[in-house]
Amino acid sequence: MSISIIGKTNIDFIGMRKTTFIISAIVAIAGIYSLVLMFTGKANLGIEFGGGTMIQGNFDRPMEIGALRDAITDAGFTDATIQELTRAIPNSFVIRTKLISETTAGKGADIEAVLRAAFPDNPFHLDSIHEVGPAVGQTLQKQARLAALISLIGILIYVAVRFDFRFGVAATIAMLHDVFAALAIVYFFNWEVSVLVISAVLTLAGYSLTDKVVVFDRIRENLKMMRRKVDFVPGVNLSINEVLSRTIITSLTTFLATLAIVIAGGEVLREFAALLTIGIAIGTYSSVFVASPIYVEWENRKPKRFK
Amino acid sequence: MQRKLTWIWGLIAVLLLLSGYALWPTIRLATMDEAAKQAAEQRDPAEWLRLRNRAIKLGLDLRGGMRVVMEVDKSQLNAAEAQDAVDRAKEIIRNRVDQFGVSEPLIQVQGEDRIVVELPGITDVNRAQELIGKTAQLEFKLLEPRENVTQILERIDVALEAKDSTAQAGKQPEKPEDIFDIFADSTRQADSSRTESTTQSETAGDTAAKAEEQETEPLGDRAFSTLLEPVGEWYRVTKEDATWIRRWLQDPQVLKQIPQDVQVAWGSKTEYAGGLEVEYLYFLKANVEMSGKYLTDARPSFDQFRKPIVDFTLTRAGGRIFARLTGANIGKPLAIVLDDRVLSAPTIQSRIPDRGQITMGNADYEEAADLAIMLRAGSLPAPVNIVESNVIGPSLGADSINKGITASIIGLLVVLIFILVYYRLSGAIADIAIMLNVVFLMAVMAVLDATLTMPGIAGIILTVGMADDANVLIFERIREELRKGKTIRAAIDVGYARALVAIIDSHVTTLITALALFLFGTGPVKGFAVTLAWGVVINLFTAYVITKAVFDLRKGYKSLSI
Repeated sequence: MSISIIGKTNIDFIGMRKTTFIISAIVAIAGIYSLVLMFTGKANLGIEFGGGTMIQGNFDRPMEIGALRDAITDAGFTDATIQELTRAIPNSFVIRTKLISETTAGKGADIEAVLRAAFPDNPFHLDSIHEVGPAVGQTLQKQARLAALISLIGILIYVAVRFDFRFGVAATIAMLHDVFAALAIVYFFNWEVSVLVISAVLTLAGYSLTDKVVVFDRIRENLKMMRRKVDFVPGVNLSINEVLSRTIITSLTTFLATLAIVIAGGEVLREFAALLTIGIAIGTYSSVFVASPIYVEWENRKPKRFK
Repeated sequence: MQRKLTWIWGLIAVLLLLSGYALWPTIRLATMDEAAKQAAEQRDPAEWLRLRNRAIKLGLDLRGGMRVVMEVDKSQLNAAEAQDAVDRAKEIIRNRVDQFGVSEPLIQVQGEDRIVVELPGITDVNRAQELIGKTAQLEFKLLEPRENVTQILERIDVALEAKDSTAQAGKQPEKPEDIFDIFADSTRQADSSRTESTTQSETAGDTAAKAEEQETEPLGDRAFSTLLEPVGEWYRVTKEDATWIRRWLQDPQVLKQIPQDVQVAWGSKTEYAGGLEVEYLYFLKANVEMSGKYLTDARPSFDQFRKPIVDFTLTRAGGRIFARLTGANIGKPLAIVLDDRVLSAPTIQSRIPDRGQITMGNADYEEAADLAIMLRAGSLPAPVNIVESNVIGPSLGADSINKGITASIIGLLVVLIFILVYYRLSGAIADIAIMLNVVFLMAVMAVLDATLTMPGIAGIILTVGMADDANVLIFERIREELRKGKTIRAAIDVGYARALVAIIDSHVTTLITALALFLFGTGPVKGFAVTLAWGVVINLFTAYVITKAVFDLRKGYKSLSI
């Protein structure tokens, strides 16, 4: 016989909806809170959005991060954050500051000069400088909002065409739940809100919806076929159970692939991939525990179709 | 049925051949080491270029280089000039970059007034920024005669003295008189100089500066001219004093003392004289005697003292103007002004008809070479400000690409093994589909001339992770149908038919997201969107059509390894 991670299951997912609604509501509120902070600029905005300077480089010999911080703070970059990197080149650091001037020019070179002067016998070699002026950050913020809007509208149109109203609303709420959960993770882990992180959130929105589509497809199919034989709630439960192995296996392989980036992909992609990895799990959860129960609640209160 | 199947296998074979052809240059490039690459370039540069152009291009984040976003400052232009200023600036920058010799540069207009320049492989960032960001407005101007300058300096001294006495007056408690002065100023502009200076010094923009450095402002007897030391036809100022001169030169009261036809300009460089860092100040006749637009050619060279210079050739019209100008002013200095800074002011030795040279003081040869490039390419229609710059060193790029490849291989292997173990022989078919998905995706990238970025690599890995979704949907459905007791053939057919809807749904949602990301993205994110979008499109073919073709190879199944 074939291998199965899960065989034929018969779990009462819908029956757990009281508990899971509370969990989901907490997650969503945390996410909305994070989103508000991001919009008002209180979150850890990346330099691409907020403006600032990021330099990356390495020292010849090991360097105390404390000594490095002191040198940079003494030079007036009081807000600088310093992070040591694990790279093929040892003793690599990335330094970020949000101090900005209109034309941006020169902050990176200033920091380099400071480091060279502070540690004359352990020279600093520059690997990259990224300087962003405030005007560029504002343009990018506008673009990010626009992209979010476009993908949201695109997804809503698709859902409206593809499903009836109730399925559509339930799927959209669940997708928003996933987006909020992802934003909450970014905020509470204090990850930098970068272009890549925003891209990951938008990618997750698409992935999340896909998952809901698969579950709802099966619910619709089963309810149509077994209209007379099965009751409504057991029918939904059965559908979820039937697609459960597919949901878990697809999530698992995607999860494994993004996990490979988290582990081996380096700093550039780490937060991006980590967010995708966690987000995929959340998307799977919300198909089962958010989207389907919302649909059930609605149908219970105002029976419309498959009764 | 059988004919349809032959058709599909033929299509697969053709696509594989095309992919091999499209990916061949990339594979060759990737397997060459540095020495082999250099040898290939030496042997046949044209062939080498073709090879490079046909290979998948790496983004700046993977190969290192520099990206600069510049904003064209149109504030000084009239409506007609402003209209095409950005496009003209773009063309001129392209010209400069081409002459500088960067391979595969990217120069494009972004939005209303921004220009993005990407220079792969550039390491000398400061030089490159100077080269693309300088306005490069070259002008030749005569100097104001010494006796006129002396008079101007005297008048400035007097004006500053007046300011000095007001400043002292300002320290006393406010007098009612002052209030009247303010009213007086608004009605009678050109009243007595004392009244004016009171209100001016209170209202002008230098109040902040005054508050900052009030106690040290070296006002007093002949404040201005004592800081200037005459050297030949111009003036030497120590670096510290230059700060004051600069500040005073913005003071409206001082500016009023300088006639309209006189321009005060600084030298382009600081120098060391007597252990002090000094700058030079020039009083020029504002009239532009000759400008860079009459140049037909400019080349870097050395003069007889082995100092770098730029030799230039003039158009016929320019030659006539220049001959008249130099002929009438033999023995006088001629200032060579670049972007309102004086490069040098050599004395005119003889009448110069159409060829001249720009002496550059203590500049090095590189600067002469860059100036020559800028003069050949022309000046920018308006100044540009760098609003974003991103420099990635080659070692960082190499590090990223190594990590990207490692992560891709690990991710791919883990997924392939998992699917193989879980679905056995059917899993092997799905694995082939996944690998074909990656191959076709890379081939499409090569053909479309797309750029591979670090997030783009993530897009490929994500595609791999999601590529099996279609097959998982199908296989799980087949398993279910088998459990219900259907025959193997029937289970396969139902599995494929029922899963198709869900597969197309999932592809459409991913495509919507990819489109939004593409519209939003800067370079790297665009790379992610492109690989993701093509990944799912190709996936429909590999995961559905190809695997089905494999299953359809046999008509009657007695057993199925799934």
